[in-house]
Amino acid sequence: MDYKTPLIEFIKQDILHGRNVPLDDEQDLLSAGVLDSLGILRVVAFLEERFGVRVPDEDVVFENFQSIRAMTDYVTQQKAVGKA
Amino acid sequence: MRYLLSHVVDEAARTQPTHDAVRFSGLSLSYAELARRSNGLARILVDRGVRRGDRVGIFMNKSLDSAVAIHGIMKAGGAYVPLDPFAPPARVAFVIRDCGIRHLVTSDLKLDQSQLLAEGLDRMTLVGASPRDGHDAVGWVEVEASASDSAPAIELTEQDLAYILYTSGSTGTPKGIMHTHRSGLSFAEWAAATYGLTPSDRVSNHAPLHFDLSTFDFFATAVAGATTVVVPEALTKLPADLARLMAKERLTVWYSVPFALMQMLERGSLAKLDLSTLRWLLFAGEVFPVKHLRELMAALPHVRFSNLYGPTETNVCTFYNLPPTLPPGDEPISIGRPCENVESLIVDEDGRPVAEGEAGELLIRGGVVMRGYWGRPDLNEKGFFRRPVFGRHYEDVFYRTGDLVERMPDGNLTYLGRKDRQVKTRGYRVELDEVEAVILSLVSIEEAAAFVVPDGQGSNLIEAAVTVKAGFQLTPEAVMNHASARLPHYAVPATIRVMEVFPRTSTGKIDRRELQAR
Repeated sequence: MDYKTPLIEFIKQDILHGRNVPLDDEQDLLSAGVLDSLGILRVVAFLEERFGVRVPDEDVVFENFQSIRAMTDYVTQQKAVGKA
Repeated sequence: MRYLLSHVVDEAARTQPTHDAVRFSGLSLSYAELARRSNGLARILVDRGVRRGDRVGIFMNKSLDSAVAIHGIMKAGGAYVPLDPFAPPARVAFVIRDCGIRHLVTSDLKLDQSQLLAEGLDRMTLVGASPRDGHDAVGWVEVEASASDSAPAIELTEQDLAYILYTSGSTGTPKGIMHTHRSGLSFAEWAAATYGLTPSDRVSNHAPLHFDLSTFDFFATAVAGATTVVVPEALTKLPADLARLMAKERLTVWYSVPFALMQMLERGSLAKLDLSTLRWLLFAGEVFPVKHLRELMAALPHVRFSNLYGPTETNVCTFYNLPPTLPPGDEPISIGRPCENVESLIVDEDGRPVAEGEAGELLIRGGVVMRGYWGRPDLNEKGFFRRPVFGRHYEDVFYRTGDLVERMPDGNLTYLGRKDRQVKTRGYRVELDEVEAVILSLVSIEEAAAFVVPDGQGSNLIEAAVTVKAGFQLTPEAVMNHASARLPHYAVPATIRVMEVFPRTSTGKIDRRELQAR
């Protein structure tokens, strides 16, 4: 399943409000200031609602949320755990 | 003798050269290394033309080099000006022009650097960057190679300028708050003594460099010869990582805005961590909602808590050490009493001291107070209160905080609100007038109103509404784009409504309360 396209769409629309910021898969969105602490919370809520994964607080860490790639990898991994 | 902020690093380098001064992401810099590198940076800056009183910008993500930059600039006789690395390039360029920065300490990792330099700035000297676009450049490698046992010999006094912190200004552009070595050191020495800092302390370094809480992190820590642990910017947005860092680095003192602490309380899984080394938890910048504070105190029963108060213009000027158990009820906690070497005065609208127990504006005098606003005689005229003394030939000068307070019978002050339209959002200070002025600079806007709504996390969010001039079409996205290209991210309204007409009060003013409630 494609998690990337809806996630990028969500960040562009709901976080950046259509602001023109180039987004690529590997970019560190936290250090670049694209996501702040409330932005992260909204992304977590989006992932849970849209993709049906549960994101415990202790998983909301740098390795899972630093980039779009890290977030989609995390969702893929959570989905696999859910099925097993 | 210690009278300059950089003296505290030199002193620690003599008494405990190998002790960690700064830690960042598993790297560290000893006091001896920090002193030698900042001497090297100072020599490079002086060679490239920095003179006493010159403003030197710092434009980079936080790291070990932040400490080198701060002390190197001051040792060169300059004043450091931290530029928000996440602010729109146009805003950063405004600050550079406003205080005449010609030297910038930076790093190639800073993504927006090229965008900033494209803003048509005059020729600059960039320290820590590769050469580009006709700007002069020196690399960090050269700074390390220039490390030296001594700083350039420059005559400075405690009254020389040490740093300028820019904050929201009500007329639509930021204003620069000028601090001297005296005002910075006065605060740092008070803080180190009051919280009993010693070399074995490991102190959090959480606030952005352009935010006044950072002066505690860098200077109070160095006064004590303790270690400051720089939190990478990315982790400040991730409460679980933040709490883990607190445990892993065995921090003993934490200082931040309440928002960061509330986030950690809610999402940091504090109960699973060993935070036994923590002894002081200090907060400032905003009111800490008592409900959350009570929970945090219950979660960390071995820790002492202190509320620090002070506009950036005064560093910190009052403090309140919390009792082990808070009294019942939701009464906001006190901002306490003036710090040592600080005089407070509460005056009415006409500048007359109020009667005991009456509300009024808090005025502050003492070593911690700023010198003034950079290049703004109008604000300096309004911002200070002058009390004639000694046969009226002399004056005691107080800073007008604009904060309304009341002195309780026990001598502690209660914060009541603002005289003007300044607000706090997650610890950041924002003038709603500035937000409106920026939106109004869009030609198609007829009227703009900015206001705050609760964010559900114990702080405020800024929202705005606009009406459009006849004959123009406008989307909320267009207004948002305009605002976010000019305001720092925390001041950009979370939502912008385009309305046909504004609700009005009976006197015809925009009814912001009604907008807030809708």
